[in-house]
Amino acid sequence: MSSSFLYTRRRITNALALTLSMFATLIGLIFLAWILWETLRQGIGALDVKLFTKITAYGEDGGLLNAMVGSLIINFIGIALATPIGVLAGAWLAEYANRTRLGESIRFLNDILLSAPSIVLGLFVYTIIVLPTTALTSGNTTFSGLAGGVALALIALPVIVRTTDEMLRLVPSTLREASLSLGIPQWKLTTQILMRSARSGIITGVLLALARISGETAPLLFTAFGNNYLTFNPMDKMSSLPQMIYQYANDPGEGLHAIAWAGAFVITMFVLLLSLASRLVLSRNKVSHD
Amino acid sequence: MTESAAAGIHPQSAATPTPIAPTKLKVRDLHFYYNGFHALKGINMDIPEKKVTAIIGPSGCGKSTLLRIFNRIYAIYPKLEAKGEIVLDDENILDSGYSMNRLRSKVGMVFQKPVPFPMTIFENVAYGIRHHEKLSRADMDIRVEQALRSAALWDEVKDKLKQNALGLSGGQQQRLCIARGIALKPEVLLLDEPTSALDPIATGRIEQLVEELKSEYTIVIVTHNMQQAARCSDLTAFMYLGELIEFDRTEQIFTKPTKKQTEDYITGRFG
Repeated sequence: MSSSFLYTRRRITNALALTLSMFATLIGLIFLAWILWETLRQGIGALDVKLFTKITAYGEDGGLLNAMVGSLIINFIGIALATPIGVLAGAWLAEYANRTRLGESIRFLNDILLSAPSIVLGLFVYTIIVLPTTALTSGNTTFSGLAGGVALALIALPVIVRTTDEMLRLVPSTLREASLSLGIPQWKLTTQILMRSARSGIITGVLLALARISGETAPLLFTAFGNNYLTFNPMDKMSSLPQMIYQYANDPGEGLHAIAWAGAFVITMFVLLLSLASRLVLSRNKVSHD
Repeated sequence: MTESAAAGIHPQSAATPTPIAPTKLKVRDLHFYYNGFHALKGINMDIPEKKVTAIIGPSGCGKSTLLRIFNRIYAIYPKLEAKGEIVLDDENILDSGYSMNRLRSKVGMVFQKPVPFPMTIFENVAYGIRHHEKLSRADMDIRVEQALRSAALWDEVKDKLKQNALGLSGGQQQRLCIARGIALKPEVLLLDEPTSALDPIATGRIEQLVEELKSEYTIVIVTHNMQQAARCSDLTAFMYLGELIEFDRTEQIFTKPTKKQTEDYITGRFG
């Protein structure tokens, strides 16, 4: 009798927990769908070829071409700077400094950088790059896409360090032992075996870092500044999608609002696709090691 | 406890009885500490050349620890310390000056779980060789084939050398790891419970392989499977709580052990 009572109670608890967690998942999904729907609904009017072919100088009759090109260039600079440094630093943390006091301290500092407000990083780059270049070129070069890229690199860096570190530490220690017992030195083990094992995880980290920086606005206001014309020169002031959205959203013009919404939709889709791509990389290369 | 005191408590407790072959690895008063914990207590042991020496004993007795000192793989972890002597070809491998690179090209190791590198089957074998020797492409092909043949794997993989090694079965992966080890032409081969993750058929093949390999290599195998030790070793060492209790010819250990603890373990009274 009591055992069947126990069983019934367990079943009720199970059903309750299941319902609650499904409900929680649903809330998260609803907001994601809502965001996509809302950006699409508000921006649909501006979502046409013009968005991708015309620059912001035309205002309501223009598009976001210069902002998209700027975003691509600035994000590329950011990722290109952060990836090699971040991957090497992560490898050092996981393989050379793991379980040492220095390693733990640096891991902690990296986590602080990870949660540093992005506007602070923007101001930092403003002080160390924008101000000196302004002084050196007597005002010819001030804000630049390059400075924006450096600011974004500082945001991407700790993400890449952390994922590389974690992914490498997930590689079973037996693989290290097997390699070292063949006399293979630590640097070869790290770069040729462990990084290959953790490759998909590290790539995912880079893609997630890219997703993270592609929506950043604040650090770009002080560094890339913005530009209503199309430029490919990283030493120029450069526009970017988040910065244009910010600017247009603050504008009273209704037409600009629609363009801002369309830009928001483009960014959201871009980030979503990046996340999907990283999922794909992870699942395609998933070979179990145990 | 000082080393001499420890040695005094276990005076040559279990050195090899009648030598059956020249000694390859001479272990003298070996102590090992895990972060202060005294895991091996004055081991003395003469491991004969080109024979199979099995180390048995209950979990935690120190058998794997002992094996992992023979190629100093323990040294990759902090706070582990070995004291004493292990003489390989007249040199103490525990000397801080003894090159790891050299030691590991002379002493190969195969682990409990097969751990192929994330590369092709061919590269798995070639990778280690390339680090120690510069070979022409043709010579490398020959070396890889030899190693795979010695590991009784060649016939199964010769048509898919360019495929990823992670696609092989567990037993094949383990033989690949053996091939990878012997490709460096080591003198000693350490096997740390090499069949514990394999099915009976794959286990049989590995045991057969051990039998074949001993004509060329000195083999030390740690196993928790007593039948395995009885089947494929010439000498058997029984360890208990960090001490070497008895070390003798395998048939002696399994038929007329001299120590009561050995007999109790063999007959399944504990462990």
